[in-house]
Amino acid sequence: MASSDLMVGLEIGTSKICVVVGEGRPDGTIKILGVGQAPSRGVRKGEIVDFETAMKCVHEAVVDAETKSDVMIRSVYVGVAGAHIQSFNNRGSVSLPEDRDEIDEQDIEDVKINAREVSIPSQNAFLHSIIQHYHVDGQDGVLNPVGMLGERLEADFHIIHGVRTRIQNTIRCVKELPLDVEDVVFTALAAAQVVLTPHQKSLGALVIDIGGGTTDYILYVDGAVKQSGVLGVGGDHITNDISMGLRIPMTRAEKLKVEEGAVTLGNCLPGETVQLKDDSGFAGKEIERETLNTIIHLRLRETFELLKRKLEEEPFINYIGEGIFITGGCSHLKGIDHLAEEVFELPARVAHAQTMSGLTSAFENPQFSAAIGLIKYAQAVQVDRRPTGGIRRIFGKIFSGMR
Amino acid sequence: MIQLSRNYSLPEREEEIIPIKVIGIGGAGSNALDRMVLDGLDKGDLIAANTDMQSLASSVAASKVQLGRGVTRGLGTGGDPELGLDAATEAGDELRTACGEARLIFLCTGLGGGTGSGAAPVVAELARETGALVITFATMPFAFEGKRRAAQAQEALLELQKISSAVICFENDLMGDIVAPKAGIHQAFAAADATISQSVRSIISLIQRPGLIRIGFDDLLAALRNSNSRCLFGYGESDSDNRPHDALTQALKNPLMDRGRMLSDATSVLVQVAGGPGMTLSEVEILMQELNRHISDDTQILFGTVVDGRMGNRLSVTIISSLAADGAVVSKPAFERPAAAPVPSPQAGPEAKRSPAPELESQPAVEADTAPEAESSPSPDAPGKFVPEAESAEPPPLVRPLQMIEATLNPPELADEIPSEETDSIGDIAEVPEPATMPQIVEQVREPEPQQPRVILPRKKTTPLKEPKPAENSVAKQEVLQFESVTRGRFEKSEPTIVEGQDLDVPTFLRKNVRVK
Repeated sequence: MASSDLMVGLEIGTSKICVVVGEGRPDGTIKILGVGQAPSRGVRKGEIVDFETAMKCVHEAVVDAETKSDVMIRSVYVGVAGAHIQSFNNRGSVSLPEDRDEIDEQDIEDVKINAREVSIPSQNAFLHSIIQHYHVDGQDGVLNPVGMLGERLEADFHIIHGVRTRIQNTIRCVKELPLDVEDVVFTALAAAQVVLTPHQKSLGALVIDIGGGTTDYILYVDGAVKQSGVLGVGGDHITNDISMGLRIPMTRAEKLKVEEGAVTLGNCLPGETVQLKDDSGFAGKEIERETLNTIIHLRLRETFELLKRKLEEEPFINYIGEGIFITGGCSHLKGIDHLAEEVFELPARVAHAQTMSGLTSAFENPQFSAAIGLIKYAQAVQVDRRPTGGIRRIFGKIFSGMR
Repeated sequence: MIQLSRNYSLPEREEEIIPIKVIGIGGAGSNALDRMVLDGLDKGDLIAANTDMQSLASSVAASKVQLGRGVTRGLGTGGDPELGLDAATEAGDELRTACGEARLIFLCTGLGGGTGSGAAPVVAELARETGALVITFATMPFAFEGKRRAAQAQEALLELQKISSAVICFENDLMGDIVAPKAGIHQAFAAADATISQSVRSIISLIQRPGLIRIGFDDLLAALRNSNSRCLFGYGESDSDNRPHDALTQALKNPLMDRGRMLSDATSVLVQVAGGPGMTLSEVEILMQELNRHISDDTQILFGTVVDGRMGNRLSVTIISSLAADGAVVSKPAFERPAAAPVPSPQAGPEAKRSPAPELESQPAVEADTAPEAESSPSPDAPGKFVPEAESAEPPPLVRPLQMIEATLNPPELADEIPSEETDSIGDIAEVPEPATMPQIVEQVREPEPQQPRVILPRKKTTPLKEPKPAENSVAKQEVLQFESVTRGRFEKSEPTIVEGQDLDVPTFLRKNVRVK
């Protein structure tokens, strides 16, 4: 197997660090060879706050992945999240020179550069410029203008950017190990690659990746990314709420959330309780199930409502035809899909990575969607880089000055 | 079937020694035997039986039986099952002697070839005649070995399923997944052998180890009772910090487990957790909780736990289950058929359909094995001990009450029970075709499952709706909460997440002023 076919996705999450090793098959599918993970420390809300500790954890996860997949990991695709990540849509345009009227590759590059000529905060850097559509002389919805005749080429891009130093922190954390960073990818974008099929993207879908520290979202309409972003609220907040509301230690609250937590209200019998076993340093406790669920419900409802308001700033949410896909660790909470359905008034479901082979248990877990998505992303990019692969560009990816 | 022994203070029970034989038939069988020797299987006698003299000579098994001295003259069968059958028939006496007084016989064979497909059913038949319980481990050929072999293997498998008490079928095609893609073919075969060896060892220790909650033959058979089935088998061991999780993960990764996916369709799952003296209840609980996520709510869990000093710091989990071929059949014709044919024992009448335990008693072969009252038992001392509770003591207390429940409380009891479990289990339980299994399932769910409803169940059963006290408790607690200044808990020191003017790190219920009671 050629080493270039080996792809590794590394997601530094708030609750766990996850390394997925995959192998690209000639037929375009991906086989997962192994998944390494380690509990994450030194990460809050998707961002590294304790560099040394986080690095140790990343190392642990990488070693775990190496053992499990029996390969040597040299370079990785790193997922980034964090509330600093923002996005917007912008249109770039170029006019073709007088003596030429056939659009070529260079014009595409030019229009992309043009689209990025907008002011983002000076400390920010571009993460992704994702092409939505091209317009040639006012003709809308052109997918691939190369070879077309025209005088004026315009292109709509979805641009994702974040605070440069924070992204660099993530990169440095990996490079210290030392591993090469092939690319840095916004986690929701990665997750969407495996959660959604191209068909679902074109019908319009919203992916919500609720992880430990952040809730990342990405909205597709007509097969193109229209909106994306991060909300700095995640599973840790739920745990924190439970811990404070029920006055139990964090570790207990986390366990309680994972094992007993549900989102739906009014589903338990009055007075139904959950018994917490006593442990050293913790006297046992009886907790009313409805209370627990109320705390979780309120937090998630609020999160969804915030998200909805954020999305409603632009019209695209009205064009979602396929529905909402919830993924990430928190999607394990029972009834979360019903709550999303209720809030967004759109069909919602819990989704995990699809169209893979190999370790089934790994990709059927929504926790790993983003990490597996990194591999899928890697594959798409690699195919793109091959000179012979005449596949339409999906990701306009420029990453200057960051590596 | 769950049994809690009350003699915790008693010294650890001695390990019961049951005469066990492992017979490897054909090339694949003796390879598996060799592997077991390497793995240090010391609890049973290993017997290699083969037509091919050369292969037999190189086997490391303690005793060897040459099949078909006259038929094949020391050569192989050349893939002809007829020849294999004749060869085994010819060596009948020798095989019978080899089986001796074993009470549990494992047959290991690779189906598809001549010796395996032809001789294995004969050997199984002979083994059954000696009165032993026969568990067959059959390896199905790789798909690339051709359809002819696959057909031969399938035929032999059906035959074996009729004869053996249980058949555990390994598909070589699935084995391919456990070895790294780069590994050589010998490694793939070695992995297959290792899996078989591991299964045999874990089944032996499963039923031999004196358990706190022990698992007997009946449980094993209950778990494997689907005839014509896919066997799901998983074994995992770990000594890490998070050993329950790691052991379970490893067990579920076993190729025969189909990565835990098919477990959700299984009617009953046998789980044994073994560990050193350091194993804690919470570890078992965590493990079972995790396992419960992979199985459906109405699955019967046959749970056993063992404390074994030799395990040291390790914790192991063995999961055995089977799926009906179509995934839906709940009955167990495999064991009813042989039971009905030889001796339809009178007591089997009313109870035969119930649990596997009485069913066992109705089988001549098993009777000799397990039931203590069996006079025909060849070695009366050990067998008396072997599975004493599981077999003899258990059925009366467990089965009878269950039947009573079935008879008297069935509809109301179930109606009460179900809402208290997961709501979505209603449909599933209702679908279970034979009522006989229903109380069992309910019983099972109620007792051993460390899943969420477990804790609350006893209370609810008796007084489902009145529970004022805890409410009052939390009212008091909630008052305290009101005085608390707005706090951000663990996010105290992190950068605040402020969206729409609200600090999202502060619990929602505090900001919205919702009374959490």
